Amino acid sequence: MKRILLSLAALTLIAAPAFAVPLKVVTTIQDLASLTKEVGGDRVDVSSIARGYQDPHFVEPKPSFLLLLRNADLLEVVGLELEIGWLPPLLDQSRNPNILPGTKGYLDVSHGVEILERPTVVNRSMGDVHPLGNPHFWLDPANAVRIAIQIEQKLAELRPADAPYFAQRLNAFKVKINEANKHWLAEMAPYRGAKVVTYHASWPNFAKHFGLDVVGYVEPKPGVPPSPSHTFELINLMKAQHVKAILMEPYFDAKTPQSIAERTGAKLVVLYPSVGGAKSGTDDYISLFNTNVANLVKALQ
Amino acid sequence: MAHRGHRALFPILFFAALPAFAQTTDDRVSQLEKRLDALTQEVAQIRQEIDRLKGTPAPAPAAAAEDLTKVEVAPPAAAQPAPASQPSSALTDVQTVNNVFNPAASKVFNPDTSVIGNFIGKAGPANPYEFGPNDERSPFKLDEAEIAFQAFVDPYAKANFFFSVSPEGIDVEEGYAQFVTLPWGLTAKAGKFKALFGKANTWHTHVRPWVDQPLVIHNFFGDEQFHGEGISVSKAIPVTAAFVEATGELYSSELPGVFERRKASDVAWNTHLKAFKDISENSNIELGMSWARGTIADGHNAFGGVDVTYRWKPLQQGLYRGVVGRFEGMVDKRDDFDRRLRGFYASLDYQLAQRWFTGVRLDSADETPSLAQVAPGTRDRGVSATLTFWPSEFSQIRGQLRRTKYGDVKTANELLLQLQFAIGAHGAHAF
Repeated sequence: MKRILLSLAALTLIAAPAFAVPLKVVTTIQDLASLTKEVGGDRVDVSSIARGYQDPHFVEPKPSFLLLLRNADLLEVVGLELEIGWLPPLLDQSRNPNILPGTKGYLDVSHGVEILERPTVVNRSMGDVHPLGNPHFWLDPANAVRIAIQIEQKLAELRPADAPYFAQRLNAFKVKINEANKHWLAEMAPYRGAKVVTYHASWPNFAKHFGLDVVGYVEPKPGVPPSPSHTFELINLMKAQHVKAILMEPYFDAKTPQSIAERTGAKLVVLYPSVGGAKSGTDDYISLFNTNVANLVKALQ
Repeated sequence: MAHRGHRALFPILFFAALPAFAQTTDDRVSQLEKRLDALTQEVAQIRQEIDRLKGTPAPAPAAAAEDLTKVEVAPPAAAQPAPASQPSSALTDVQTVNNVFNPAASKVFNPDTSVIGNFIGKAGPANPYEFGPNDERSPFKLDEAEIAFQAFVDPYAKANFFFSVSPEGIDVEEGYAQFVTLPWGLTAKAGKFKALFGKANTWHTHVRPWVDQPLVIHNFFGDEQFHGEGISVSKAIPVTAAFVEATGELYSSELPGVFERRKASDVAWNTHLKAFKDISENSNIELGMSWARGTIADGHNAFGGVDVTYRWKPLQQGLYRGVVGRFEGMVDKRDDFDRRLRGFYASLDYQLAQRWFTGVRLDSADETPSLAQVAPGTRDRGVSATLTFWPSEFSQIRGQLRRTKYGDVKTANELLLQLQFAIGAHGAHAF
């Protein structure tokens, strides 16, 4: 009898990790959630605050998000002050000291990625410029890998017993995105150097990765809606430089960019800046790029 | 004999040296190949740069597929930000970058500092009913500059200071420590702050969707709202269907016209229960109940209130459209007055475009004995319409037309104009 009891106890101990409760991870945007799922697999339970089809600068800090944050083991943020307008009041009320900045349960992924457009001089006459650099860095597949690496390191730190599992999944993700990237680059190769205009300055990393040349913006300054005079100047610029496409996020008003496209012969392309940006075709990071590359190639042909 | 011995050594040495020579040649060839690759890449980059400078589209590169499987994290102790990495041959080689964000390290402990100016213009006759018999409000006035300092004190608390600088002087509008790492789902505040009684009472001037206060706040609590020095403790109540929060607050019973301290130990208390529920991804509702009680010269003064807020904001079109409907009803029972005093406001605000908002508000509030403009118990009624333009997130211009009937006979029509402008880093307020 004693032997049976001992065996049961040993079995329970061995089986315990298998039944461990998944780490509760909350991310500010869906892209981080997608990459966390890639690395964390079934050992994480991931939720995102912002939806992929909303502007991540302007999320309402609703109390319902506090329910997510209250029980989180890990909070992943983009950083570079992308979430400054809404995350601090949520954290103040989250009642979860384990996910506050500087704690083990807080991961700012901007610390390990390539950042573009870091201004040396900045003030608000320049519009809503991010003083620490452009926060839309996740739109570069190499940065996606850098983010995934940081996630893997953080998950391993929080769950050392699962570290080999996370490492194996990270490697699998690297191989998967590497293969996908070869296809994306091959599809975009004929259009390297193509001149484009974007609505907001959301695409510098994406443009760099695919060799696109962003020559102007529909917004006269970041966060400022298009004005007639700026629109007129932009039309002239686009005609002079033979710009073939205007890239726009789905949450901006298409009226002005559509009008510019009609007057310049350029095509207006809706590109999705985040996982979940469209009802279908943007379910995870790789499908997001599949869709964006396909849309862009179609427009540039 | 000796010669024969030397001759025998030569072939041995020759054959022994052959692999070493072959090895050295292979190494050199390998090094030269690498060097050639590097030079080829440099030439390609220079060619691209020349094309870019010439303004001619760069030709498609020679299959520069990065190997993402080689991406890695950079060592964490680098003193300077790593340079932008060149595309490697595979994404599998990618490394993370060690970004240093702190070029002005000596300033990092400075609190977030901001100033928000509130410039008011008005047109219309003097309004002695609400602003006293000598209403001398000038056509233009820098009504207030709110100066805010906010920062973490230590790992346990944040400090929030809001100073109101106005023609009347400088006042600590709020100044409190906020404890954000308490156990058992608690948060707490200690210092001077606005009471969590309903919604409008908690707002700073720049958060209000109107130029003025609703009549019920003005008549029941005065222009400075229900505030005081004390402590506040909130607890999240674990309910899966909604976010529910209970708050209890204790103040020194001192608020001109509202609470009076008869003895040193007199306190006023306030309780608030809030429930928030997402109806859908685009809409939500918030319900609140408040109950407060404090001392006055002839007994006690007690307030009860309910508030309802409905919001609709389609996520994808959130930059351009939105509706907020609000209602707050309050009851005031004073021991120095023979009946309950009542008041409410109801408002609807609609976002017309990215930077344009409009709204209406209905007001009704009894005048209280200590703050009465006409006579205690007399009911004031008002209606307002607003139009707001936001040049940017940091400034807004608002016009408000309001018609107020004080008591049964006296009516004032006013046009209020407001320009608010903010500089510095002002932390977002709670939802």
